[in-house]
Amino acid sequence: MKKYWFLFTTQVINSLAYPGELVGRSLIIIPFMWIFYQLWSVTFKSAGVTEINGLTVNMTLWYLMLAETIELSRPRLGNTISEAVKDGSIAYILSKPYDFLLYHYATSMGETLFRASLNALLGGAIVRWLAGAPPDPRGWPMVILAIFGAWTLNFCIAALIGLSAFAVEDISAFQWIYQKFAFIFGGLLIPLDFYPAWLQAISHALPFQAMLYAPARLFVEPSAGAFLSTLGTQLVWIVALGLLLAYFYRRSIHLLTVNGG
Amino acid sequence: MTAITVSNLSKTFQSKHKAAGLGGSLRALLKPKYTTVEAVRGLSFEMEKGELLGFIGPNGAGKSTTIKILTGILHPSGGEAQVLGYTPWRERQKLAFHIGAVFGQRPQLWYHLPAIDTFALFGKIYELDDAETKKRIACLAEIFEIGDLLEVPVRKLSLGQRMRCEVAASLLHKPKLLLLDEPSIGLDVVAKQHIRDAIRAMSEQEKVGVLLTSHDAGDLEALCHRVIIINHGQIVYRDKVSNLKRKFLTRKLVEVRYAEEVSPDFRLEGMETLKTGRYGVKLAFDTRQTPADAVLARLSSAGTLVDITISDPPLEEVIAMIYGQANQ
Repeated sequence: MKKYWFLFTTQVINSLAYPGELVGRSLIIIPFMWIFYQLWSVTFKSAGVTEINGLTVNMTLWYLMLAETIELSRPRLGNTISEAVKDGSIAYILSKPYDFLLYHYATSMGETLFRASLNALLGGAIVRWLAGAPPDPRGWPMVILAIFGAWTLNFCIAALIGLSAFAVEDISAFQWIYQKFAFIFGGLLIPLDFYPAWLQAISHALPFQAMLYAPARLFVEPSAGAFLSTLGTQLVWIVALGLLLAYFYRRSIHLLTVNGG
Repeated sequence: MTAITVSNLSKTFQSKHKAAGLGGSLRALLKPKYTTVEAVRGLSFEMEKGELLGFIGPNGAGKSTTIKILTGILHPSGGEAQVLGYTPWRERQKLAFHIGAVFGQRPQLWYHLPAIDTFALFGKIYELDDAETKKRIACLAEIFEIGDLLEVPVRKLSLGQRMRCEVAASLLHKPKLLLLDEPSIGLDVVAKQHIRDAIRAMSEQEKVGVLLTSHDAGDLEALCHRVIIINHGQIVYRDKVSNLKRKFLTRKLVEVRYAEEVSPDFRLEGMETLKTGRYGVKLAFDTRQTPADAVLARLSSAGTLVDITISDPPLEEVIAMIYGQANQ
């Protein structure tokens, strides 16, 4: 396990190679949050309410900040695997004594860490300014654990998509579909609480809400119950998708062809 | 002791075909046409421990595919292979501890980090302790002359410098076998020589076996004891490098310079004129048809000789000749 920890830390150092780019990319969360603030403050005002389905403007904004942080810093693992297949560099990953999937898990987590911290920092600063104080800090450690669960779940889905590159090479279509599903069923743009009941039911039956909605909702209303149910749901999905991933990996490694002779 | 045993190895790929243009793309979508490419066809060979074996052939001959099967990256479609007692595609991770691999066209060093960071990472990956890694890095730095390069981000290195670091990195864990896929591709003459010297030094000091693919005959001449020439996925020739030269280097090149001007249509029987200058000519002959002493006699009878050089043609030409024969 030590080698995977080292892979993780090396990737963390690597992600700092271009600090300007890292900060630049994270800046995008600032206009996002500003737009969300305009949108929801007007919505709440015109409806003449201070709360919709249990969420205030302040909670909605902090919810969206956390969901955006998870989404924006989610490692683009599908692309990473697909690029490695396309340009042949997968040969090196496979010629070293480590597990292919754990290698990607370690490096993608390393890539995410700083990006997520920056997104949370910048997004948090603007939401604090626009919408007021953040939720109770005593809930934050639970949220951090839930975010790791969310990324692990994302890893399982993204790696499944990435593995399909062994067979079809270009996977951008699957990536696109995954992203849109995560937007809609994960509650990235609108908290699931605002959805009609039938759409909420569908969303809760899919894994995407455990990735975005559940940690973000836990953030704005922390409780031991919500924490355990979030972790429980994540775990169920991680085990199910992880098994599927292991199975597909074993199947698809036979299919691999390495480009460039 | 054999390091590699390969018997009847084959690998086929499905490759999709598409006619030119948008129409072709649409047709390919509706009714994809596949052709089966046999990259490797019934390959069998053995390699001894500590041997330096050259695996050469033109682009697309199946060299890299074979190397990738032997490192466990690709699964073969048929046949058997044993590398250091392991079946590569079944025991990839175990085998990885004992072999080093360099794929010349792709970087393994982390691009944005100094090479020393990747070396340290590889130390962990190969489960070496820190002191051991440090000692090993110092040793490799000396042989590959990369001491000053280790702390420079890899993206700032020249290709030659980077390749030296790449090969050194693949030797960090003292592998018993080194698989080099086109290690000298794209390098200039000096950089190539540098890499070859270092690889030879390592193989002499540590008895590392080297299986090298290349389409540069120079790599072969400088490094290898034995050569396997492969084309269209099959072995077309295998022998010692010295035998290869003796058998196929019967064609000699002669360059002569005369004290006086020679006629532009300079011709001698049994010799092929390659180039004529004012004072000199370049000729080729085959020692089986025209003995060298006869050539010399004829050349000296044509005028007063000032200078004469007899050389072997480049090995590329020889290989082309063997390919030519194999294709017929």
